[in-house]
Amino acid sequence: MSDKATEAPFDPTTITRPDPRLQTYYVLVSILTLAGLPFVLLPLLFKYHTLRYRLDDEGVSMSWGLLFRREIYLTYRRIQDIHVTRDILQRWLGLATIAIQTASGTAGAEMTIVGITVPERLRDYLYSKMRGARGEEEAEPNEVQTQNPAAEALSLLHEIRDGLRRINTSRT
Amino acid sequence: MSRITYQVASRAYSRLWSILVHWLRVPDRPPALPVRTGDTLEQFRPAQGFLRYLKFWFWLGLILFDGLILIIWIVLIVNKPRLGVFLAPVALLLAAVPDIVVYVALHVRYDTTWYVMTRHSLRIRRGVWIIQEVTITFENVQNLHIHQGPLQRHFGISNLVVETAGAGGGGHEGKGVTNQGVIEGISDPQRIRDLILSRVRQSRTAGLGDEEPVPTWRRSAWTNEHVAALQAIRDELAVWEAWSRQQQ
Repeated sequence: MSDKATEAPFDPTTITRPDPRLQTYYVLVSILTLAGLPFVLLPLLFKYHTLRYRLDDEGVSMSWGLLFRREIYLTYRRIQDIHVTRDILQRWLGLATIAIQTASGTAGAEMTIVGITVPERLRDYLYSKMRGARGEEEAEPNEVQTQNPAAEALSLLHEIRDGLRRINTSRT
Repeated sequence: MSRITYQVASRAYSRLWSILVHWLRVPDRPPALPVRTGDTLEQFRPAQGFLRYLKFWFWLGLILFDGLILIIWIVLIVNKPRLGVFLAPVALLLAAVPDIVVYVALHVRYDTTWYVMTRHSLRIRRGVWIIQEVTITFENVQNLHIHQGPLQRHFGISNLVVETAGAGGGGHEGKGVTNQGVIEGISDPQRIRDLILSRVRQSRTAGLGDEEPVPTWRRSAWTNEHVAALQAIRDELAVWEAWSRQQQ
C-alpha cells in the first residue's frame, strides 16, 4: 500500500471488487484443509470471481454466485453492529472480514464483506453512517423552541380572533 | 534472586511482544474510535483480578496435567526402572513446556484485550491468532446484563454483556460473530452499565434501525409561509380595528 492511497479521502464507491489478495487467501486456506482442497477451493474461487460490491449513499449491496446467484442489500441505518475479524493469514495479506448485522432473526451476520484492503477505513465509514454514531438527537430540542410554525400560527390565530371579538363588542 | 528472575521474565516478555507485533501483526496500540469535539474517550482493559482469575485456572490445570504425567511416570519407573530413568527428561519436558506456553498465552490474552468507549459507542477488541473487534453504538443497545460466577466473585470481577438486536443469537458469549459485546473481567460493571444505560435512555428509538424521531412540528402542515400570511391578516385587522374606533 502506498502512502498516497492512505492519505486520499476514502471513497466507498470505488470498492466494487475484492482485492486479488483474496484469491491468494482462499488458496492458502484451501491448502490448509489438505485432502479437502479441490472441494473447498472451487466454490471459493467461484465466489471470488463473481463477487461484486456496490456502496452508495444509502446502503451497501453485495452479490456473488455462478449457478445460484445471491445478492444482499442493506441500508447503513439498519446496521446493528460491526464485527471486524482478522486471522493471522489475513493480517499478513492485509485483509479483513467485516461482518455487518441487522435486526433480522438469522443466525450469523447478514453480510460478510471480504477481501477489502482498507478494512479500517471501510469500518469507520460504515460506523459514521450507522445510527447513533453522530448523536443527532441532541441538537434538536433547541430548534423546537426557536422555530415552531404550528405553535406560532396558533398564537396568531388567537390574536386575530381576539381582534375580531374586540371589533364586534365595540359595535354592539 | 526473584528480582533478577522478574527482570529476565519481563525482558523476555517484551521481546515476545515485539515478535507478536512484527511477525504476527498484533496491534500494540489500543483501538480508537472516532471522537467528536466535546466527546470523551475512555480506554480500559480487564481488572487485575481477571489476570488472577485466569491464573487460578492455570494452576488448577497445571496440577491436574502435571500430576497425571507424574503418576504415569511413577507407574513406569516402578515396573520398568531403566525405561523410566530414560524417559525422565521427556516427562519433564512434557510437563513443563505446555505450562510455560499457557502461562505466557495468558498474559498475552490479558494484554490484547481492550475496551474503548465514547459517548456514542463502544468498541471491544481481543484475540491474538484471530483478532476480533466489535463496534456497537449505544443507540442500538437492547439490553445489558452482568454475569458473575462464585470464582469471579472471589476475584472481584464480572462480565458485562451488551446486546443488540443483531443476528447470531444462541452463540456462546463473545465467540464468533454474535449480537453481543462482552466486556470481560471488569471490577466495576455497575458503573459501566449505568453509564451505558444512561446513554441508551437518551435514545428515543427502539434501536431497530428505525428513523430518528421527527419532531412533531416538522410533521405539521403549518409552514413559515402560513405564519407569514397569518401575520399579514393580523396586521390588516389591526388597521381595521383602528379605523372602526375612529368611526365611533
